[in-house]
Amino acid sequence: MLQLDVFLLILRLLFIVLLYLFLMQVVIAITRDLKVASTSSASENSGAPVLGHLVVIGGSSTLAPGTRFNLMPETSIGRGPANTIQLTDSFISGVHTELRFRNNHWHVIDANSRNGTYINNQKVEPGKPLIAKPGDTIQIGFIQFQLTP
Amino acid sequence: MQALSTIRRYRWKELYLYIIPILILLLSMTQLLLADKDPHSSFSTKSLPTIQGLIPVLGLVAFLLASNILLSFSPLRYADQMLLPLVGLLSGIGMLMATRLGPDIGDPRQGTRQLIWILAGIVLCMIVLFILRDMRWLRRYYYVWALLGVGLVIVTLINTFHVGLGNLNSPTHDQLNIGPINFQPSEFLKLCIVIFFAAVLAENSDIFTAGNLRIGPLRLPPVRQLIPILIMLGIALLFFLFVRELGLALLIYGIYLSMIYLGSGKLSYVAFGLVLFFLLGFVGYALFGYVRLRFAVLGVNVTNWTSADDSLYLQNGGAFQIVQGLIALSSGGIIGSGLGLGHPALVPVASSDMVFTALGEELGLAGLFGIFGLYLLIIYRGYRIAIESLDPFSKLLASGLTSIFAIQTLIIVAGNMKFLPLTGIPLPFLAYGGSSIIANFIIIGILLRISYNNVLEREGLAS
Repeated sequence: MLQLDVFLLILRLLFIVLLYLFLMQVVIAITRDLKVASTSSASENSGAPVLGHLVVIGGSSTLAPGTRFNLMPETSIGRGPANTIQLTDSFISGVHTELRFRNNHWHVIDANSRNGTYINNQKVEPGKPLIAKPGDTIQIGFIQFQLTP
Repeated sequence: MQALSTIRRYRWKELYLYIIPILILLLSMTQLLLADKDPHSSFSTKSLPTIQGLIPVLGLVAFLLASNILLSFSPLRYADQMLLPLVGLLSGIGMLMATRLGPDIGDPRQGTRQLIWILAGIVLCMIVLFILRDMRWLRRYYYVWALLGVGLVIVTLINTFHVGLGNLNSPTHDQLNIGPINFQPSEFLKLCIVIFFAAVLAENSDIFTAGNLRIGPLRLPPVRQLIPILIMLGIALLFFLFVRELGLALLIYGIYLSMIYLGSGKLSYVAFGLVLFFLLGFVGYALFGYVRLRFAVLGVNVTNWTSADDSLYLQNGGAFQIVQGLIALSSGGIIGSGLGLGHPALVPVASSDMVFTALGEELGLAGLFGIFGLYLLIIYRGYRIAIESLDPFSKLLASGLTSIFAIQTLIIVAGNMKFLPLTGIPLPFLAYGGSSIIANFIIIGILLRISYNNVLEREGLAS
């Protein structure tokens, strides 16, 4: 009977050890997964010159105020993955806005978005781009950004 | 070439993650069989039916590996690879516990039945994965889900009135007994509600965020969008009032609050909902004796036993179950008494409502924390799938389903430990109960499908 007791004790301890080993295995797989995801998004940003930034002021439940986005000479903003800046907010259209840097000015073009693009609360009509200056508030959908150099 | 690419894209991660769960399950089954020989244990395999030995565990393992192979050779190989091993381990532990408890509570076929439900669940999970071509189908017919939910509610209400309404202290009427099958419609109801809410919130997301209706300092969505959601809330109340299932009402309300917040991002809606919840809670407390009793049980202090506690202990539907559960948990210690070596059957309803205490006694604190870890990882994976989704409906659906899972686990674990009043909702995958297993496997199937759709959209693979 003594040997059975010892054997059972070993089995019990082994159960717990294996359980924690499994948890560790899954956590390692998760962290590896996250690292891959972050390196793939970082590598997309290397190369083109950064001509300005959009800084989140508010209006989004997913983006914290102060989040900065780099602006390339031609930047598309929207929900889909093909955009330069991908915003996964539900009120942003697939392709929502385009920002183009021409003649030393930022031209803001609305891509027929559902919830509109606004510069300092003035609506940007889909056919008629408007110019935004550093310090202006650009509202895309319900998210407000400040354009900074 | 074809063979090489198939090998490269095989679900190796999932296979690798299956190794330890398979070891754990084989080990535990061996321990159960050995525990039979131990004169100290209360467990006896002699009363097990003809399915003995390692066969149940091997059956489960075979089905899980078969699902791995099936998925790897189908276009769905890109679906999430961590959910099934986690779920497989949990359901395996649940099945072992049902096998272990069955003979002791006079229902020796319980483990076998649980195994059959789990195997059916895996099959259903695969079916859901393959059939749900894209989420639009679920979303377009969301009124069908609402009707189905209402139908389930009506069925439960009929059952309630049939069993008898007048007895205010009787246990829950949530169960339907059709022949040998015990059916718990509320498990499928919660699924219908989440799909319905997700569809309504996704359709009207901009209206919900704008919040045009104002009541005092709070902003609410306009009445037309509010109505379907209020109807669903009314259903939660019905369950609370008539079917006498506290846990279900709590669960539905919790789902409502979390989905409203996820769908609109406005804390004011949540605040309003919470205020409403407390108001209704007070009303319910004042009206119903069984609610008062459940809350009174919360106040029982096991270390400073008083005579008031004595009467509560002996009362029908009183503190006996919880106190026995607490004793079981504490006698488990840190590494537990070992599977098959404790006395979990002393706790009433140990195999479904109080299975957490049964596990606590036999696996100990370390085992319980491990189980918490498994649940947390499943919940993490669910929310991760939600974050990676690109369209609002999938996002809301995935996060809603994960929230059900999380809230349900929270409610029943807290109930077992005397933090919240004890309710009758089952612990996902671990509690004995066919409807619960099937509904939860369907949830996993939907989550896996959403994760596959995410990979499709992100990497632009042709389907």
